[in-house]
Amino acid sequence: MTETLTEMLVIFIKIVCALVWLLALTLYLTWLERKESALIQDRLGANRASIFGIRIIGLFQPFADAIKMIFKEDFVPPFSRKFLHTMAPFISFFFVAITIAAIPFGDTLRIGNRTINLQILDFNVGLLFILAMLSLGIYGIIISGWASNNKYTLIGGLRGAAQVISYEVALGLSLIGLIMVYPSLRLSSIVLYQGELLFGFLPKWGIFLQPLGFGIFLFAALAETKRVPFDLPEGESEIIGFFTEYSGLKWGLFMMTDFMEVIIVSTLLTTLFFGGWQVPWLASDGFHFPWGGELLLPHVVVILLQVAAFNIKVFFFCWLQILIRWTYPRFRYDQVMDLGWKLLVPLSLVNIIGTGIIMTI
Amino acid sequence: MIKALGYFIEIIRGGLITTRHFVVNLFYHILKVLGIKTKRKGSVTIQYPEQKKEIASRHRSLHRLMTRPDGKPRCVACMLCVTVCPSECIYVEAAEDPDPEIQKYPAKFIIDLGRCCFCGFCVEACPEDAIRMDTGNVEFAQYSQQDLIYDLDKLIG
Amino acid sequence: MQERANEMIKIFIDEKPVDAEEGTTVLKAAERAGIHIPHLCYHPAFPPEGSCRMCLVEIEGFPKLELSCSTVVKEEMKISTKSERVVEARKAVLEFLLAEHPLDCPICDKAGDCKLQDYYYEYGLFESQFKETKEKREKKLKIGKSLILDQERCILCTRCVRFLKEVTKTQDLGVFHRGVHSSVNIYEGTSVENNYSGNLAEICPVGAITDEDFRFQTRSWFLKEGESICPLCSRGCNILIEYHPGFSRFELPNRVYRIKARENPEVNGFWICDRGRYGYSYLDEGRADKIILNKIEGENVLTWENISEYLGEKINSMSSAKKTSGIALILHTWLSNEELFLLHKIFKKDLKVEKIFFADLPEGEADGFLLTSEPSPNRRGAQEIGFDIKAVDLSTLADGTDFLLAFGPFLSGLFSPKYLKGALSKIKRKVLFSSYSHELNSLFDVVIPVALIAEKEGSLTNVEGIVQGFQPALEPPGESLPEWKVLCDLGKELGMDSKFYSEFPSPETILSEMGEKIPFFKKKND
Repeated sequence: MTETLTEMLVIFIKIVCALVWLLALTLYLTWLERKESALIQDRLGANRASIFGIRIIGLFQPFADAIKMIFKEDFVPPFSRKFLHTMAPFISFFFVAITIAAIPFGDTLRIGNRTINLQILDFNVGLLFILAMLSLGIYGIIISGWASNNKYTLIGGLRGAAQVISYEVALGLSLIGLIMVYPSLRLSSIVLYQGELLFGFLPKWGIFLQPLGFGIFLFAALAETKRVPFDLPEGESEIIGFFTEYSGLKWGLFMMTDFMEVIIVSTLLTTLFFGGWQVPWLASDGFHFPWGGELLLPHVVVILLQVAAFNIKVFFFCWLQILIRWTYPRFRYDQVMDLGWKLLVPLSLVNIIGTGIIMTI
Repeated sequence: MIKALGYFIEIIRGGLITTRHFVVNLFYHILKVLGIKTKRKGSVTIQYPEQKKEIASRHRSLHRLMTRPDGKPRCVACMLCVTVCPSECIYVEAAEDPDPEIQKYPAKFIIDLGRCCFCGFCVEACPEDAIRMDTGNVEFAQYSQQDLIYDLDKLIG
Repeated sequence: MQERANEMIKIFIDEKPVDAEEGTTVLKAAERAGIHIPHLCYHPAFPPEGSCRMCLVEIEGFPKLELSCSTVVKEEMKISTKSERVVEARKAVLEFLLAEHPLDCPICDKAGDCKLQDYYYEYGLFESQFKETKEKREKKLKIGKSLILDQERCILCTRCVRFLKEVTKTQDLGVFHRGVHSSVNIYEGTSVENNYSGNLAEICPVGAITDEDFRFQTRSWFLKEGESICPLCSRGCNILIEYHPGFSRFELPNRVYRIKARENPEVNGFWICDRGRYGYSYLDEGRADKIILNKIEGENVLTWENISEYLGEKINSMSSAKKTSGIALILHTWLSNEELFLLHKIFKKDLKVEKIFFADLPEGEADGFLLTSEPSPNRRGAQEIGFDIKAVDLSTLADGTDFLLAFGPFLSGLFSPKYLKGALSKIKRKVLFSSYSHELNSLFDVVIPVALIAEKEGSLTNVEGIVQGFQPALEPPGESLPEWKVLCDLGKELGMDSKFYSEFPSPETILSEMGEKIPFFKKKND
């Protein structure tokens, strides 16, 4: 009985920690986006939000934005399907937020005789779960576009659906090579496999085993996030997007979903291609360098190092995605479709065949 | 295929350019935070309300109406500014001046700044050099549209 | 225009063969062929004067340039109006004219209509060579009841002098002094007081004579022109209504800024009287723009769509005998031929209404030239259609009447309000069609705003029996619409000859129908 209770308590704590991590990162990703874009464009970026005159480079800006969004009028157009209109942002938000459940943050933590998996739920089909949830997220877009009962939002929603479904194919196919190399769909297993060494010194990370798969996955995942250069469903300033009829916090939810997708894509890239929480040559008892040296570390330090490594990798990919968003102009719609169907899908098929040939040899 | 490769290389180069800006600007910002003075700055931003940029000599700012030596408006209410104004924000009502050398003066001269697009056509059109946009005042935002309607007194004063 | 058809001869203007009437001048022949020769002093109403020298043309065989306004055409004459010599001469003439002309365009009311301005823009565009200061003259001289003369602007074309000499024959103005000092002025002790003085400001080619009525009101390029017919007397002078289409942001008090004469040799020539010129306030002042419902039972809202339904229902509910004696009609002669015809058909022919009266303004005085004594435009038309023009008799009107249909605001001018109120209170239902919001309106159950002559389409018959069509020059204000529409609908509602009324989509079709019914209108509808 107490065992079950403790188990539930642990899971509850894990859920809270993961969600807080996700939301806090989302919040500061908006700040990072502003500051990074400013640096790229030789500007300063938002630096005016202050508490009692203390500004510290605009770090309070996300709170100011959040407060503003909360107090804005929540306008539901009189001609819309009110229930679905209200539901849509929550659907979007939910399906993205839930994917965090399958992401491994670190190795198993041992406290006393209890082992705690640093992952909310260790699915045996974790990868499929994430793909499935990301696909379901498109309902939020379609519903918001349709329920707004506005021609432009409907067309925007359809554009979004078409784009996301197209890239879903390439996204799934690009991972098949990876699954062939690490014969598992369990994300924790995939990360563990990546701890092994190739030729005795190179970590067996996905980027080294599946470079083409990584490229395809990166493009497809960027398209999944629906941000510039793939922001056709939304097109903030010119082409009217699916959340035109939203305001206030509901619009904020769409915006947060956007940033959360960035984080989820970063965690996926990390987990699948960059060894997840793995630090090169760090085993559970310490570093074992390929040139023969050893550095033994206590268990807690190892776990902390792993979690830190995971976070650093995720931050890097968030940074990279923001860099991409502020570097490239938007694709034209036909270019998006060409890239998806004529380049990424055939390439991913080539990747599967190539992986198969190499593995048989 | 080669063409596609060319695109790909340009895409990478573009990314490197933005990365360079990011890294270099970040470097100078860090130096500034550390208190090290450098010639170059990390940004070109002007911190507006505290810092102000000097207005160019030909900048078109808030309008003013010129006066004759005796304080009467120089304007003769010929309505060329009304005619030429693309946003139709000027309204002039003429009246008879007792002086036969002046004859016509503006009884009302209203500019709706809320609608003005600051094109400066009125200044160009004016045959008497009676309206100018050289006050250098660019900070006349108001809370109500009514306050943006400037009449003769406000434009002369 | 020409009284007798002269023989046609062939001349060449700018190497283009042109047919010209024998005996006409080069300028007239060119105008007829669509070639404009610049001129300032020449006016088609007067014999050529030849003082401005703007109309110089080159004629083959003549050593010097000739005045086109006074040179008579000859067979095979070869004229060039755009040759280098001619343009050069025009430039020189303009330079001399402008040597003494002040730079008053910004404050001059003529700017925009000014021919001197136009010609300078077309031929001049030179820098002045004169270093001398311009002659000082009188800039603001009141020469008549509403005319102001600026001697500096005057180019001495003497159009005004000739007008007063030949048209009004009052000769109040003359050219005084000589050489550079010569100027137009009034003879001592006189002033231009006749009823046609407004024409002086119109014929002045520059801004020397300006109209006090229009002075500084607006600039002429803001105004749009609409053709119409003056309804202020039965002459039916052709006029141009100049109205301001308005600014998008600022409301103007009036639409109409001035009235100009429109040339029609059969009716008014080039002129209109001052009454018609300055009496345009009726177009804007006190107009009614909403349907007024003082007392109606049952109906919620009356609009233009169901007004004929309402009237038709009221009339249909009466017995046929009652229709004849219980309906009374007060008309006026500002109604167009078409409207009077429809009224005649519906009420006099079909319903056999006996009590039809006419309420018009009291007769004025004729001036012997254009102004007639009848202050309404279509009395002759009403007579020709078959109305017997009876003045309103209030006791007959109120006797046994259940339903009164009145048109126009003139009733109040004829009787004292108390008397009028007493008489009208005996009548059960009263409907008024009027363009004005007036205290008279309170005596009626329903007041329907209608368009004025300037705002509708139709035709009028003037005192000489000339039928003149007119088109709307202005938009009717608010809910106002022309009467003929409601009369057509009413005709259909009454169901006596509904096929007849449904054939009229426009007043033009009504007029052609009138031509078939009434021989008077047959020959004259054009």
